[in-house]
Amino acid sequence: MTTGKDTVLVVEDEHSIRRFVCDALHREGCATLEAESVSSGLSLAAAENPALVILDLGLPDASGIEFIRTLRDWSQVPILILSARTAESDKVSALDHGADDYLTKPFGVAELLARVRALLRRQHQAETATPVRRFGDIEVDLSRRLVQRAGTPLHLTQLEYRLLATLLANDGKVLTHRQLLLEVWGPGHAQQGHYLKVYVNRLRQKLESNPTQPQFLLTETGVGYRFQS
Amino acid sequence: MAAHLPLFYPSCRKLHPSSLRKTGARLKFRSLSTTQRYAVAASTCLAVMLLSLPLRDQVDVANIDMLFVLAVFASAIWCGRGPAVMAAFFSVALFDFFFIPPYYSFAVADAQYLITFAVMLLVGLITSQLVARLAERTTAAQESERQTRLLHAFSRELGVALDAEQAMAATTRFVAAFGFRAIALLPSLPDSGSVLSPLGQERLTTLELSFAHSAFEQQRIIEADTLAGVSDVILFLPLVVAPREQRAQVALGVLAIGTPEQDPQPLRALRSLLEAGADQFARTLDYLHQVEAARISALHSAEERLRTSILASLSHDLRTPLTSLVGLADELTQRPGLGDEAVARSAGTIRDQALAMHHMLSNLLEMARLQGGEVRLNKEWQPVDDVIGSSLRLLGPALASRPVDVQILGDLPLVCFDAVLIERVVCNLLENALKYSPAGSPIRLTVRSADANLEIGIRNQGQGFPSDALKSVFKLFVRGSAEMAASGTGMGLAICQAIVAAHHGEIWAENSADGATVHFTLPLGVPPTLTEESVP
Repeated sequence: MTTGKDTVLVVEDEHSIRRFVCDALHREGCATLEAESVSSGLSLAAAENPALVILDLGLPDASGIEFIRTLRDWSQVPILILSARTAESDKVSALDHGADDYLTKPFGVAELLARVRALLRRQHQAETATPVRRFGDIEVDLSRRLVQRAGTPLHLTQLEYRLLATLLANDGKVLTHRQLLLEVWGPGHAQQGHYLKVYVNRLRQKLESNPTQPQFLLTETGVGYRFQS
Repeated sequence: MAAHLPLFYPSCRKLHPSSLRKTGARLKFRSLSTTQRYAVAASTCLAVMLLSLPLRDQVDVANIDMLFVLAVFASAIWCGRGPAVMAAFFSVALFDFFFIPPYYSFAVADAQYLITFAVMLLVGLITSQLVARLAERTTAAQESERQTRLLHAFSRELGVALDAEQAMAATTRFVAAFGFRAIALLPSLPDSGSVLSPLGQERLTTLELSFAHSAFEQQRIIEADTLAGVSDVILFLPLVVAPREQRAQVALGVLAIGTPEQDPQPLRALRSLLEAGADQFARTLDYLHQVEAARISALHSAEERLRTSILASLSHDLRTPLTSLVGLADELTQRPGLGDEAVARSAGTIRDQALAMHHMLSNLLEMARLQGGEVRLNKEWQPVDDVIGSSLRLLGPALASRPVDVQILGDLPLVCFDAVLIERVVCNLLENALKYSPAGSPIRLTVRSADANLEIGIRNQGQGFPSDALKSVFKLFVRGSAEMAASGTGMGLAICQAIVAAHHGEIWAENSADGATVHFTLPLGVPPTLTEESVP
């Protein structure tokens, strides 16, 4: 899936976790850089310009959030977070600060590689954006604001369309409740999470073949939503 | 301000009752009994008579007359109104008897002396009235100043009191300064409200206690008559704290005041002062309660922080090696060209066992978090479908071989709950349903609204719960039946129970002819309104 040899920076203080992550990445055809702390991670990121950063949130010298904030000052490189399951608020905070996705510890190699591929693909797609997106039997033409199911036009309200377009533009990426509310409803609605949840539900009713077990508009409980084609 | 300070300092030392009696030092004759005061007044007049008698022939009688007026004046100052009036008449009598010819007789030779007598009497009476009134005012002013000083000292003492006992000691001293006895009655258990018991060593009779209880319950002052030998406590002041925001007026206890004398009059005279004292005492008690409550709450939150940080580091320290174990084993199973099939199989087993261990660890940590202290819920209004969809996706691989029938009955309102925790409940119930039913059998999940609740039921086609364990399965470490083949720690349902209880819902198990169902409810509230888009 990856083109050429992408370089992935792995920032993780636990040696054995770093080892299997790097082994898996090597097998996938990526080159890896390893760092054990926020400071060495940041200097490696600045020097080597990696295509992806995998970051453990619990690092010894500073918080992972600090790393993300500093990195985002100059780079839009995708960031995949490794975090514990119980810490929803940490994930949300990392995502709000600009991380792209997260993996909950413990995780398998397949899961890891799937996320890495998705993030690298998004990175490459950014250069070849197309206005027409297809998933399931749905076709969305972003240039004409047209949504069709198996050739029949579907009616979406303005907000529904804006929500769908935002999710599509971030294909594979987790968007937090706050990010979506800000993007779709605008500032001043950050506290009205129930709107978002109701609209996602309505989109599912219109787009998913089985709305209670969605395939594309996925819930990341306690964190946000993700579109996955 | 500094100039006033010396005024206050002595009052601190003078709080002891014996020293407080000295207030009227200049008017010490007033502390004598009535008879003695009359005697003093009469002696003064006699003294004037005896002193002037040798001068009778040298000095004009009009000047001697003046000396008697002076005696009446002095009697008014020292002895008060009654003795002064007596002194006025007595002086006229003495003057007439000893100094007006004919001497040693009340007869008056010259009728003009009658005018002297009349004027002398009148002046004596008027001055005695004026002087006595002035003296009374002075005494009253001094008494009121003393009361103010005592009240000041009292509030200062209350200000530094660290607990109810010290505040009570200050109150006792304050009341004792007036010669009375104070007993504070507080509810024996905080918030129990009804049973009052005296603070310290004091004891009260049944009658007194019943008066105290009425004062407490009705929040009004009760004044009783002294009952000789039965009761000397006659004034019951409820310790009332004024209403504050979100709180009605409450009584914290009762301050009972007793007098050692039979006569309740002095106590009644000081009632308003004693009420003011009780009011200050009540405010101090209220303040001390609040300080105590704040201290306890700070202690609780410190404990909570410690617990959270212990759990967090435990969770991190145990999860890290498990993550390595799962990852490394998984990496091994997927490494191409490993050659040996057996190694890959073993690695797969290691991975699965590590994952199972992680699952147990998560349950343990979750239970520890839910059981200790209050569960902090991150509640939000949301449709319940979301959480059902995400639970089904989380269990995806395990559920793959099972037909899952999701029935959402009717149009469901938004419900307020913590999505992460309720997802946990649904996942645990689905896992249980899987574990205790034959492979390939369907699982049904129904959601409906029933009365004021949202009810979610998860049903399998297994053997069901043992009929005697339908309730106990929700207890920690209790499993459906001990010899069941399926693995488990008996924590899943206990966690569900804790989470549902934190949401004020209910959870129960039910057996039916062809399987078992676990239901849980979430209370429906009044969801926030949604403003629909104006433009379609």
